Amino acid sequence: MDHGKIVELMSAETPRKKLPTYQVVISFIIRDFLIWWTYKFWLTLDISGNILFVATYYLFSLITSPQQIHEAGYVTGGYFTFALIGIAFQQYVFFAVQSINQSVREEQVNGTMETVLSSATDFKVFLLGETCFFFIICSAFLFISFFVGYLLGATFTLSLESLLSVIVLSALLIASHMAIGVLSAGVIMKTKQGNPLTWVFSWLTQLVSGVFYPLKLLPWYLEWIGKLFPLTYSLDGIRLCLQGGQSLASPAVMNNVINLLIFTVAATPIAVYVFKLGYDAARRDGSLGQY
Amino acid sequence: MKVDQLIDLFREEFPRSSSELKHTWAVFWANFKIFLSYRTWVITETLSTVASIAMYFFMGLQVDANRFISAGYGDVTWLAFAIVGVSTANYLWMCISRISHSLQHEVSEGTLEPIVSSMIKLRSYIIGQSIRGFIVSSYFMVGTMLIGILVLKAPLIVTVETLLSFIVILVMMIVSYAGIGIMAAGIILVYKKGDPMTFLLASITEFLGGVLFPLNYLQSYPILYGLAWVMPYTYALDAARRVLLTGATLASPLVLYNFAVLVLFTLVFMPIGLRTFKWGMDRIRREGTVATY
Amino acid sequence: MEYAVETFQLTKTFESKEKGQKRVVRAVDQVDIKVKKGEFFGLLGPNGAGKTTLIKILCTIILPDQGTAKINGYDILKQPYEARNSFGWFHGETGGRSLYWRLNAEDNLRFYAYLQNVPKDIAEKRIKALLEFFDLSEDRKKLVKEYSTGMKVRVMLARALLHNPPILFMDEPTIGLDTISAVDTRKLLQALNTQLGKTIIFTSHNMFEVEQLCDRVAIMRKGKIIADSSPSQLREMLRDIRAVEVEVKESSDLQKIAEKLANTPAVKKILDTTNNAHTHIIRLQVENEYEAIPEIAEKIKSLGIKVSAIRQSEPSFEDIFVKLARGEEQP
Ligand SMILES: Nc1ncnc2c1ncn2[C@@H]1O[C@H](COP(=O)(O)OP(=O)(O)O)[C@@H](O)[C@H]1O
Ligand SMILES: [Mg+2]
Repeated sequence: MDHGKIVELMSAETPRKKLPTYQVVISFIIRDFLIWWTYKFWLTLDISGNILFVATYYLFSLITSPQQIHEAGYVTGGYFTFALIGIAFQQYVFFAVQSINQSVREEQVNGTMETVLSSATDFKVFLLGETCFFFIICSAFLFISFFVGYLLGATFTLSLESLLSVIVLSALLIASHMAIGVLSAGVIMKTKQGNPLTWVFSWLTQLVSGVFYPLKLLPWYLEWIGKLFPLTYSLDGIRLCLQGGQSLASPAVMNNVINLLIFTVAATPIAVYVFKLGYDAARRDGSLGQY
Repeated sequence: MKVDQLIDLFREEFPRSSSELKHTWAVFWANFKIFLSYRTWVITETLSTVASIAMYFFMGLQVDANRFISAGYGDVTWLAFAIVGVSTANYLWMCISRISHSLQHEVSEGTLEPIVSSMIKLRSYIIGQSIRGFIVSSYFMVGTMLIGILVLKAPLIVTVETLLSFIVILVMMIVSYAGIGIMAAGIILVYKKGDPMTFLLASITEFLGGVLFPLNYLQSYPILYGLAWVMPYTYALDAARRVLLTGATLASPLVLYNFAVLVLFTLVFMPIGLRTFKWGMDRIRREGTVATY
Repeated sequence: MEYAVETFQLTKTFESKEKGQKRVVRAVDQVDIKVKKGEFFGLLGPNGAGKTTLIKILCTIILPDQGTAKINGYDILKQPYEARNSFGWFHGETGGRSLYWRLNAEDNLRFYAYLQNVPKDIAEKRIKALLEFFDLSEDRKKLVKEYSTGMKVRVMLARALLHNPPILFMDEPTIGLDTISAVDTRKLLQALNTQLGKTIIFTSHNMFEVEQLCDRVAIMRKGKIIADSSPSQLREMLRDIRAVEVEVKESSDLQKIAEKLANTPAVKKILDTTNNAHTHIIRLQVENEYEAIPEIAEKIKSLGIKVSAIRQSEPSFEDIFVKLARGEEQP
């Protein structure tokens, strides 16, 4: 093709309407998915790792007594059901904090972020696209965990109300951790380093949010720290529904919902603000595309 | 400095005698120094180790002693049982993955090429890298044990005899896996990515080895139970637990039996590993991909 | 006469996959070169000619498909360790990779000194001197990752010299250096060659650099050595393809203008013309550009042609290849 034709092509006026946000977000998800699909090997491994993890806790549950769990109000199912819920939902924390960080870093290192951000995309949309993908993947893993758990004999109290309540609680879990992920991505843009704080955050969450044991086994100071983490409220609420047969109508569950709402409403604007600071700082240093 | 002065310095002759020991030391020393430069990594890794031990402590509070007693290590707490499991599993996994990880790094950074064209023999290189791996991993293992014993009061039996036996078993465990590690390293040289493989190996080992639960609970699944006893780690862990939980030593028949099995595994895997590594090295030299910058 | 480097029909073919399609490149094709001890040997060729592959084979980093070579009398396939004892290798194209970025310059050099069996006291002395020579003394405690590319390249140069090998493989040593360091490096290489009798194999795609430094020059193209000559022969060749470029303002009738200019006594013939939307260039082969340029200018004036520039034209590898091909046709 000679350059005359290209000039001709380019000069044909196309109306460049602003795409609706949802379309941009979907195009990000598709792009991420395609990249991710090329790592099929990793996918198989991730899934096998997941299954092994659930299986490990199944075998561990065989030597536990369900007494403490029952005392905490989670009456259906024993330790295995309890741990399964913890394992399945804590993945959102790992994904939110680590995967978002990682993808921001990768985009920065590969220089693809410069391209994305220079293509007339609002940075909030960029963020939304990045995070949505990970939550989809994460939910897929959640279902795999539950499926394996079901095969191994986990039991739940299922009713329409309790299921609906779990959906509400999951949505709040995701929303609150999205904020945390966005916040740490903003920090990374400025510091340009895999943020060690994110590691500490994930581990601390696992320690104090009651993923593997009921909170009342913790000493008072750890239990108190646990109240600062949204996963604590999410897990308690979800377990009350799935293991206790409760729903949003019960005050204990509602209490968790309210706490999660407060956390999300407070954290989101802060997160977006910090991200914007990081993003602007990176643009000022001219370092969007370097490491 | 002038050219002439520099030239004069190079007139000096000296005997250049090759010493594998020195080469090994150089590889260890340089890589250890590089490791120390990752300060934040060391700190976060340490913190997460501490957090995970604390988690096992709280998990242990839910264990029903009556069901756990069938593990066969006498009247011992689950926490002590788990700490031996977790620390040895992490030790193994770290030692093995460190070698292939740094090798991958050396290929992508182009630092393997000058090494290949220098006087060092490849075995000195591998040994140097491995020693670095052992020392780094030992830090985490000893740390885990110390927190377990001192802070959480896990009743591990620590005497001169058990400690020596434990160290010997640990070394034998690493040696029996070294063949596999070196094999993985050889494969990584060629395919440039292999961390996932070691990752899977680690998860399977941890699961089947019975790090968190007594293996007799796996007996209801004969295939898995059989597979568990095909892995050297299962033997090493059993020996380590007998030593640290029941006070047995290398002189005890059961420990000695486990030890002998580990020796057997070494004899099988080591030649395979070395051959695979040589195959990998030759293949990248043929493909011209000793460096991939 | 024993040779420092001697190759026997060295051949290397790479297979790589590009977008699913297999691409086969014969990077080194039946190369036979002999380099005498103490010779400053230049290997000249455009990018992709196979120079680096050839050097890496000699350094035992890449295994050849066919043929072999001897370094200092040792076979690279049968006696790799003895061969490695005899050379130092530098690879400029890595642009400062191949160092440990998380170690400082001193530690990088120390590590390599250990691997090359240099005794400790001698190593320390040399490291100090080399760092001083390459102007790195002040930054010697800084981690290499904080260095500029030029500084990294200089550390790599020091590394190649550290063990004082009799043979030096210098693959594009001046590529990442600023002009001053490049001059210093050339001086050092020349002194190592003349005063210490080191054999130097020097690759470059810069014809003038090679002509200036080397005792003998081989020209490589698509894996083959297509010429092996003295620098004076190279100079001759370069002279033969001396050219002047005339940039004309109007594009109409470029060919006709070229023909008119070719009538000037100083001009041998028209090499080529480039005529597109923005550039209209005529390249003329001349005997001597300094004499030819005024003559051509005179002619342009008399013809009333509007030009924007008259200048000396850099000879390209294509010119040399054409020239060499023609030389082969008429023995
Ligand atoms: N590892 C490799 N795999 C595939 N092709 C290669 C490899 N290394 C070099 N080549 C190809 O071999 C040819 C010669 O490359 P090289 O020796 O680097 O040339 P030079 O140093 O003269 O620029 C090039 O076409 C290059 O693309
Ligand atoms: Mg090259």
